[in-house]
Amino acid sequence: MLETLLTHVASAAEATGETTEASGDIMSSLGIDWQMLAFQIIGFALIVFLLGKFVFPILLRSIDERNAKIEEGLKAAREAEDNATKAQSKIDDQLAEARREAKEIVATAKDEATAMLSKADEKAKQNAKHVLDQAHDEISKEVIAAKKALHNETLELVASATERVIGKTHSAKADKAVIAEALKGADK
Amino acid sequence: MLNQFASTGLHIEVKTSVLFHVGEFGVTNGMLTGIVGMIIFLAIFFYVGRKVKRGQSNRLVQIVQWAFEGMYGQIEQIIPDKKIARGIAPLALSIFFFVLISYWMSVLPGLDSIKWNDAPVLRSVTADLNFTFALAILSLIATQWYAIRQLGHIGNLKRYFRNPIKDPIGAFEGVLELIGEFSRYTALSLRLFGNAFAGEVLLVVMVVLTSYGALITLPVFIAFEMFIGVIQAYIFFILTVIFTYLAVQHHGDEHSDHSASPVPSGDEQK
Repeated sequence: MLETLLTHVASAAEATGETTEASGDIMSSLGIDWQMLAFQIIGFALIVFLLGKFVFPILLRSIDERNAKIEEGLKAAREAEDNATKAQSKIDDQLAEARREAKEIVATAKDEATAMLSKADEKAKQNAKHVLDQAHDEISKEVIAAKKALHNETLELVASATERVIGKTHSAKADKAVIAEALKGADK
Repeated sequence: MLNQFASTGLHIEVKTSVLFHVGEFGVTNGMLTGIVGMIIFLAIFFYVGRKVKRGQSNRLVQIVQWAFEGMYGQIEQIIPDKKIARGIAPLALSIFFFVLISYWMSVLPGLDSIKWNDAPVLRSVTADLNFTFALAILSLIATQWYAIRQLGHIGNLKRYFRNPIKDPIGAFEGVLELIGEFSRYTALSLRLFGNAFAGEVLLVVMVVLTSYGALITLPVFIAFEMFIGVIQAYIFFILTVIFTYLAVQHHGDEHSDHSASPVPSGDEQK
């Protein structure tokens, strides 16, 4: 089996050897033909020229356009990001300003409320004092009136008691004069 | 299985086969598939270009635009100078998409089975050394072009030839750079050819080995080959861009050494 294969291989090698000998050089045994080589070089150079002139510039332009679009998109995204950052910082500033103003308003309101409260308190105190003074006056007047009434009543009681003690009735006018005189003497 | 394999008389040829002649010029199977691939490639890109120009879109347009933008983004990542990146983009992107389409054409049904004049009609152009060498030569020319534009003729030559008395290490480095300049492009073309050719052989071998079972095994290997196609196209593309960058980057290194430069760089020109 192997022998058969080897025989075939050997005969093929022999045939190749003969061909090489006949052609006289390795180039022709490898199939290299200068005419063919020149034809292939010119043919392929022509392909490169045609494609390089008419097709590849279009494809390269499309790549450039796509890259430009991508670059543009990235630039727009970057700008949008910058704008968003700026807007955010503006919002933050405005919020901080609003907070500061709100604090100021609250502080002012607190001050005003405190002032109003103290004013109201003062007014209330003044009102209370006024009411108290009025009350004191009225009480004093009432005390004086009560004292006067009590004085008169006491005079009557004394007259009545004296009348009963002495059993003799005097006229009221005479009694009052006697009592008043007695009281004056007592006061002295 | 080995008997079966041997009995098929599978004939694998490194070089492409001539299908017919146009005058004295022999049209090979690789060239024919390459022309078909080129037509498909141009049709797709002109269609997409027209649609994009008109502001129209569909799934194909979106896929091509997505791939194009992704690949162009890679160029800009490697070459920061936009002017150079835009300059090298047509070649690098054409290499990527054309190699990808051509590589994927190697998995079309009928590979090695549709024959004309005893030669398989379908053979990926990427499995033709003429084509991979052509790509490498074009990459080399583009790299040299940008290096000359950035460094000037003398500046570019100084990358390879330096005064061995003044700077013996630099002179040795220059020789290595010169050898490396050719070896890296040779490696680039041989890598693509090797992978594409091996991929085609792999598919044919899998069909022979698995016979009717190929209905199951082949889709797996086709998917694998398509993936390898993406990898190979990407490698060729990215290495072209890197080699260009290395050639123009050299200018920056010289600049840091405060040596005179005949041509200002793209950044300085701006």
